[in-house]
Amino acid sequence: MQNQLAAMLQDAALKIAACQTANDILNTKANYLGKKSLLNSLYSRMRELEPSERPAFGNLLNEARQKIEALLNERNNAIKEKSWQASSRSLDYTMPGVPGARGGYHPLTIVKREVDEVFLSLGFEIAEGPDIEDEFHNFDALNTPADHPSRNLADTFYLEGGKLLRTQTSTVQIRVMEKHKPPIRIISPGRCYRNDKPDPSHSPVFTQVEALVVDKGISMSDLKDTLQNFAVIMFGSQVKSRIRPHFFPFTEPSAEMDISCMVCGGTGCRVCKQSGWLELGGAGMVDPNVFDAVGIDSELYTGFAFGLGIERIAMLKYNIPDMRILFENDLRMLSQFRGELQ
Amino acid sequence: MKIALSWLKNYIDLPENIDELAELLTFAGIEVEALTRLEAVPKSVIAAKVVSAERVPKTDHLQLCRVDIGSYDYPEKAEDNTIQVICGAANCHSGMMAVLALPGSKLAEMDIKVAKIRGVVSHGMLCSERELGISENHAGIIELPAQTPIGADINELYELPDAIFELEITPNRSDLLGYKGIARDLAAKLARTLKEPATPELPVATGDLKLGLYNEEPGLCPRYTARIIQGVKIAQSPLWLKLKLIKSGLRPINNVVDITNFVMYETGQPLHAFDFKLLTSREAGAAHPDIVVRKAYPQEEIVALDGKNYILDGDELVIADGKKASAIAGVMGSEYSGITFETRNIVLESATFFPGSVRKTSYKHKISTDSSYRFERHLSAEYADKVSARATELILKLAGGELAGELYDSYPQPEVRKYISVRPARFELLIGYTLSDTEIKDYLQKLDFEYKGKGRHQKGLVESLPALEDKGEAHYYAVPAYRKDISREADVLEELARLSGYDKVPQITLPQQIMDRHAYYAKRKAMQHLVAWGAYETLNYSFSDPKQMQKLGFEPETLPFMKLINPQSQLHSVMRVSLVPQLLDNLAYNLNHGARDIRLFEQGKVYLKTAEGHEEPTKLAAIFCGSRMPGHWQSKPQAIDFYWLKGCFEALLAEYGIATEIRSFQSPYQMDSESFAYYAQDSFVGSIGRIKPAVLAKWDIDSSSLKQEVWLLEAETDILAELSRNKELKFQPLSRFPAVSRDLSFLAPENISFGELKSAILALDSNLIQAIELFDEYRSKQIAEGFRSLSLHFVLQDQEKTLTDEAVEHLMARVQKTLIEKYEIKMR
Ligand SMILES: [Zn+2]
Repeated sequence: MQNQLAAMLQDAALKIAACQTANDILNTKANYLGKKSLLNSLYSRMRELEPSERPAFGNLLNEARQKIEALLNERNNAIKEKSWQASSRSLDYTMPGVPGARGGYHPLTIVKREVDEVFLSLGFEIAEGPDIEDEFHNFDALNTPADHPSRNLADTFYLEGGKLLRTQTSTVQIRVMEKHKPPIRIISPGRCYRNDKPDPSHSPVFTQVEALVVDKGISMSDLKDTLQNFAVIMFGSQVKSRIRPHFFPFTEPSAEMDISCMVCGGTGCRVCKQSGWLELGGAGMVDPNVFDAVGIDSELYTGFAFGLGIERIAMLKYNIPDMRILFENDLRMLSQFRGELQ
Repeated sequence: MKIALSWLKNYIDLPENIDELAELLTFAGIEVEALTRLEAVPKSVIAAKVVSAERVPKTDHLQLCRVDIGSYDYPEKAEDNTIQVICGAANCHSGMMAVLALPGSKLAEMDIKVAKIRGVVSHGMLCSERELGISENHAGIIELPAQTPIGADINELYELPDAIFELEITPNRSDLLGYKGIARDLAAKLARTLKEPATPELPVATGDLKLGLYNEEPGLCPRYTARIIQGVKIAQSPLWLKLKLIKSGLRPINNVVDITNFVMYETGQPLHAFDFKLLTSREAGAAHPDIVVRKAYPQEEIVALDGKNYILDGDELVIADGKKASAIAGVMGSEYSGITFETRNIVLESATFFPGSVRKTSYKHKISTDSSYRFERHLSAEYADKVSARATELILKLAGGELAGELYDSYPQPEVRKYISVRPARFELLIGYTLSDTEIKDYLQKLDFEYKGKGRHQKGLVESLPALEDKGEAHYYAVPAYRKDISREADVLEELARLSGYDKVPQITLPQQIMDRHAYYAKRKAMQHLVAWGAYETLNYSFSDPKQMQKLGFEPETLPFMKLINPQSQLHSVMRVSLVPQLLDNLAYNLNHGARDIRLFEQGKVYLKTAEGHEEPTKLAAIFCGSRMPGHWQSKPQAIDFYWLKGCFEALLAEYGIATEIRSFQSPYQMDSESFAYYAQDSFVGSIGRIKPAVLAKWDIDSSSLKQEVWLLEAETDILAELSRNKELKFQPLSRFPAVSRDLSFLAPENISFGELKSAILALDSNLIQAIELFDEYRSKQIAEGFRSLSLHFVLQDQEKTLTDEAVEHLMARVQKTLIEKYEIKMR
């Protein structure tokens, strides 16, 4: 019986080594360990031995079974490993991948959204108002004299029925101040209209964002802080900003805001017309007459306001040479901004 | 820390309302984590005497007692004033005074009735502490002091009603780890007087016992005091003392140990008592034992009072006698030197230990005790002698004995008095309102800060006062030694703000709430959706030409145009009333430039004249043509069609969480049979449809040569924003039970819509049917004329239990039956 066992083990090792598939393994296992296997019959023939020999032979049988199981396992793993290896393939990695179907935002929306985010993070709220306005909100309340040239048909679009198209979003500031008590920290983005013929730097329809802060103790220093904060977040930490005297009817003192040219870094180039500075928009401390028009005590409160042109920022930021391109909606232009806003 | 109202009242007069008091504590910075009310017991719960107690036959623990209730009126009372009560407590014995709840008594946890236990009648119950609600102790019944008169008022004995506050003491406030500290804070907050126990007057020492004291680690033990009291009688504590400990969550042991715990809870300073007789000398044959404050020897062992053997590694501070450690300093005493009923002479320790060392030891050996908890939080060494005197006074009173010698006091480096300067102006700057100089002084003096005068402000604690001057900006105060947390002006300002009340801090700037955040983000969402579905955003002028609307098939005269007085041209002569013409302009422009598979959208205002003036609603429009996906060499292009557009729009509606229904739709520029509108509660929210080739032709788009259908989506952004306002997403619990899938294919008559079939199936069991997905539709010659094949995928799930095969088959059978009987469907 011992010889039979040894021969069987030798045979099993050869058969197991010859297995090629998971199925072969199952069959071989049945042959050597199953009910009809020699090993199984040897177990039942143990009683033919002297009782004293039985434990030793029983051990031999167990060892044989374990040996076969180990060999089967090892071979099975090798077969699996081989099939995994076989699943590897070589690829022409230069062929195009599947393009995504995502579209994209208009560059003006991208810039407007960035401006929104900057001011939201600075604690401002966003207020909106109508494009079609009355003279009070667009001119009178903003301290614009009745004979001021900006009220001309050549400058402002008027509608049948006496309304007009707002020339700046300061109108929203007036509407907010009429309804809400200070403190006020808002920006008002929106479309504005001026009777300019479309050309590389003008458009009869354009987008503006105005900021307004009204509280006790607001000074020109807060204006400077906010402007610099905005410039740094929007254009990068190396950007400088400045304000210089100007005139607007609704601010006193008034200023124009410049940022250092990000094309040349301030040394002077074509874009900044060799000045090193780029004009960003108008600003100033809210004129007491504006406060009077909306019923805010100008002795108690002070405030600042400034306005930015979204088209101008987009053109500066993306190096777009002509404002008219922005309203052509050419997919070759639009698709360039696909990755700009999440 | 647990404190009882009845005990706290010993030190301060308090408001009667318990909730008010809890609020007061919390807003003084002592947070009440839990409040337990101990209710008064009814009059039918009385002190009674167990006259006899005999084992009830065939029971192992029940005793049949005769209980004397004195003059209390009870119908079943015998002539000798006793009634029969069964008791299961092991400590019940004849002669004891107990608390008896007579039938009819309503206790916190049960109503007492005449009961029959093992066939024997019991008139009431002898109570444990838990039944009275004063502790969790249920190990045995209460044994009242022997001299308690029968019928005595239990509420008076147990100080009921009462309230237990569980307080969270912040780690910086070691001074709040005792009743007196809490009372002091409340006194400052309420502007009341702290009632301190009178300074003890100790008798002259007459005993002859002596002790040697060696403090070898003054760095770790800044002060060690010991006092010998000889000839004490160790006994149980009187009821008032036990009760105080029980209500604070402590277990009474014996009079001396109870007094050390009582004084610790009163003052916050832990104490320890050793049995004098068990302490040994450093040198053999010496006349007196020694106490040595030293570091443990490496591998030194100590069996502590918790019965566990600790092996010390040499870093720990121990209190040793001449030979071995008899306490882990500040943490726990040893078993061998503890006070037992045999103790006659004691050594009372009152000391302070370095917090870091106690914390390390406690952490290393995982022992946290009332004592270690307090020493870890840094106690001042200034009070060890006073606390010792307070405990000594009580021991002499309750356990008798006499003093032997004066206080042994090792205090090599007394704490130096420190001063801090506070600027009232700084309070306003930091807290936001003003306190007058007097208010500041009142609050701080109640906290034992001693006012010294005005001077120039200095940062932090100073050891000597500067030149004081009347006009100085800052007020100088001596800081009480126990306030180890005060080291800067800001700490004092915090005290003032806390006591005068955070509720007084003014709220100056209210939230402005000008922005309509919901509307703002709702608009963004629509744009984001279209970008995700592959569309590019366009922006067009707000101006338009009435002829554009005519090209769409409208009569311009019927449209509510706002007309410009001074337009730049006919093309820009009115404000736009629709986004569609400009999108068609954009489409034509891009087709002319060679683009195909185009998707464009615009979200913006249109301007409509109304009877009152005008409106400027925001709308969304999107135009699509060509392939669903950008071309790729691996896949066949598939064109955008009605179902793609339907999916796109319904996904958008789902993002807003709006339920809608789809209806047929007439539009002058879209194919009648291929245009549909969506409604939510009868509000029109948008439409989808195919643009008529004839309309495209007006934009010079030749659909037959383009070979791409042009589809349009329009939506009312403002209405979507309004309808989705205040919709809050709520998480749905996940079913713990597995979902089951089933597929079903059948032939349906062409005149029956999928939607009709789906609602009919859902109506059968909308709880079980989680989803019905259509995964195939086809027609062929093999299928009878007038029928189409539909294949549905069912997802079934029960929220409460695992679905059985039976239940699934039953449901599927019902589905088939309904389909066959109601819709003449043929199963495949
Ligand atoms: Zn430049």
